[in-house]
Amino acid sequence: MNSKEPVLSVSNLSFSYPDRSLVLKDLNLIVWPGERVGIIGPNGAGKTTFFMLICGVLKTTSGEIRLFGKPVVPGEFHPEVGMVFQNPDDQLFCPSVRDDVAFGPRNLGLPEEEVEARVREAFAVTGMQELGDYPPHHLSGGQKRMAAIAGVLAMRPRLVIYDEPTSNLDIRYRRRLIHFLRGARETMLIASHDLEFILEVCDRVILIDEGRIVADAKPREVMGNAALMEAHGLERPHSLVPHAEPHHN
Amino acid sequence: MKLQLDEYAYLNTPLHRWDPRYKLISFMVLIFAFSFVHSLYLLPGMVAVSGTLYIVSSLPLSFLLARLRLPGFFLLMMAVLLPFLSGQNALFYLGPLAVKQEGCLDLLLISVKFLCILTLVIILFGTTPFLTNIKAMRALGLSSILADMILFSYRYLYDIGDKLKTMETAMKLRGFLRRNLKSLGTLASLAGTILVRSYEQSDRVYKAMILRGYGQAGGTRSGPRRDEFQAYPRDLAGLLVLVFIAVAFVVAEICLR
Amino acid sequence: MHIPDGVLPTAVCLGGYATAGAATWFSLRKISQKENPREGIPKASLLTAAFLVASWIHIPVPPASVHLVLNGLLGVVLGYYAFPAILIGLFFQAVMFQHGGLTTLGVNATVMGVPALLAYYLFRLRNIFGKDNRVGTGLFAFLAGAGGIGLAAVTVFVLLVTTIPAHMDVEAERASIYALTLAHIPVMIIEGVFTAVLALFLQRVKPELLEGDS
Repeated sequence: MNSKEPVLSVSNLSFSYPDRSLVLKDLNLIVWPGERVGIIGPNGAGKTTFFMLICGVLKTTSGEIRLFGKPVVPGEFHPEVGMVFQNPDDQLFCPSVRDDVAFGPRNLGLPEEEVEARVREAFAVTGMQELGDYPPHHLSGGQKRMAAIAGVLAMRPRLVIYDEPTSNLDIRYRRRLIHFLRGARETMLIASHDLEFILEVCDRVILIDEGRIVADAKPREVMGNAALMEAHGLERPHSLVPHAEPHHN
Repeated sequence: MKLQLDEYAYLNTPLHRWDPRYKLISFMVLIFAFSFVHSLYLLPGMVAVSGTLYIVSSLPLSFLLARLRLPGFFLLMMAVLLPFLSGQNALFYLGPLAVKQEGCLDLLLISVKFLCILTLVIILFGTTPFLTNIKAMRALGLSSILADMILFSYRYLYDIGDKLKTMETAMKLRGFLRRNLKSLGTLASLAGTILVRSYEQSDRVYKAMILRGYGQAGGTRSGPRRDEFQAYPRDLAGLLVLVFIAVAFVVAEICLR
Repeated sequence: MHIPDGVLPTAVCLGGYATAGAATWFSLRKISQKENPREGIPKASLLTAAFLVASWIHIPVPPASVHLVLNGLLGVVLGYYAFPAILIGLFFQAVMFQHGGLTTLGVNATVMGVPALLAYYLFRLRNIFGKDNRVGTGLFAFLAGAGGIGLAAVTVFVLLVTTIPAHMDVEAERASIYALTLAHIPVMIIEGVFTAVLALFLQRVKPELLEGDS
């Protein structure tokens, strides 16, 4: 991988749904290999729409999106981007977890041994080995989340998009997800309302509100700015509030 | 999919103000009277009646046209088949095929009836919010099990439709292309998942409902609430006018036979 | 597949309403014999909506794509709720999507719903093999799916061909019914296979959905 080439470059991107005003206004963004970019902003800020544009599900109104130097063509299959949906139920539909994880690799037209290998690898990374033969509908919320992630990783994407990955997770699975993401090699975009989670995982944060990028800097800089956060319907995470008696180091 | 049926249900015209129960009865009577017509001489009358009602309803023409697209295919199929299949008297020849007079007249009759009835249905459901119409049906004696089922299905129809759309997107992002019959198995799993998810959701919905007293004796479900609607003499007058028109069509049809 | 307004004679439409009314009455009576008929309502309604949504999935049959009717499957999954579910599904189709019609609602519901009930009875025969036998489930689901649509299609064709072109001779009528039915055999097979795969999926993931009287 050429480290000089951006993973994602978005220039002057605007988007609106047919009957509504602009959802995204003149967005500019460059993401470099290995970055873990947190995307924060209030509900309805346009985060999910932005992801759908990157994946080529929606068509830009104006501006351009490039992935690894190539323009995104709407409607085309872009295996180098993986998307983990907010609700894992939207992604899991096969009679067994194993089939579901194999679904993407099979669509890539890989030979069956390679599919097997990819599935094993994805299981190993996500720790899902024992659950392979379960129907996804019988898994717990946390297990479903990991199964959905395994299904995306099995395609070996170079950019992975996570939409609200901690929603509905218990503390243990949330912690497990944090460890997993910090150890992962892919470049990632993570949208979340769980700001402490973003603080632990990401090395860069983008604040989107009303379709614009309002801030783009190191997590502590953006989220530690109480005035900025409150102006956009957010709060400074507790661990960044100065404590009289410091207990966060 | 998001063709909102009752988008224009909040306009203010005599048709919108009409008590939904009376409107429902009047329109159904008129629709059946139209379906009874076989005489070509009555077609202009039908067009005039449904056209006038549509104008009175103030629904935009584009609303009607957008809704004609889907059933248009059926008419097209009829237009291709009927003139050749039905009748003996050839009007003219298209190559080796004879275009028959009776077939063309059948086609004319069917399409005009079809369009007029469709217009009436669109007025009926376009001028009243959908849920109000269902309540009106319940007030008119529709079984409460059926009415409940209609209300629930309506509530969750778009919800489940959105789920399907999201799942199809997720599949597409993992490279699924429906290219040939081999994808039948995958699509069956997709449909199956939709069923299972809806089933599981219904379980949660039901539990949430009984926790709020659903199905209790004396609850809201104990019968139709007739006081929900209030009829004035003008509602009855409207009913009489439309029923009179309907009877006129039926009588004329019988005389012309 | 659904007959639109203005095509059938009024007598047939009224007859359709009469049979649909009778079938609904029969179904509701069977339903209310259960311990808690209210419990089934949310389930049946959400599944009604889900079936309607599932019928929007288009199945690629090169060079075109088709939508499935799934009435056999509806019988298999919903049992006695199948008839009301189909009636409601068709009502939505007619008023929201202008597919089918209001005057023909009774006819369409009878044409789709009675085969669905028969498919339900047919599918229950799988118990000969035992409930957990995948071959039995697959086989009877195939028969229910293919039979459900097959019976409905033949009925529709007979109704259309005998009533619409008032000036067609008997020979031509019979020939076109045969032709249309033959043309529908591939659709029956697709619908049957789809129903079988789906029933096996449900047996694995959520077997209680196949108990028939959910």
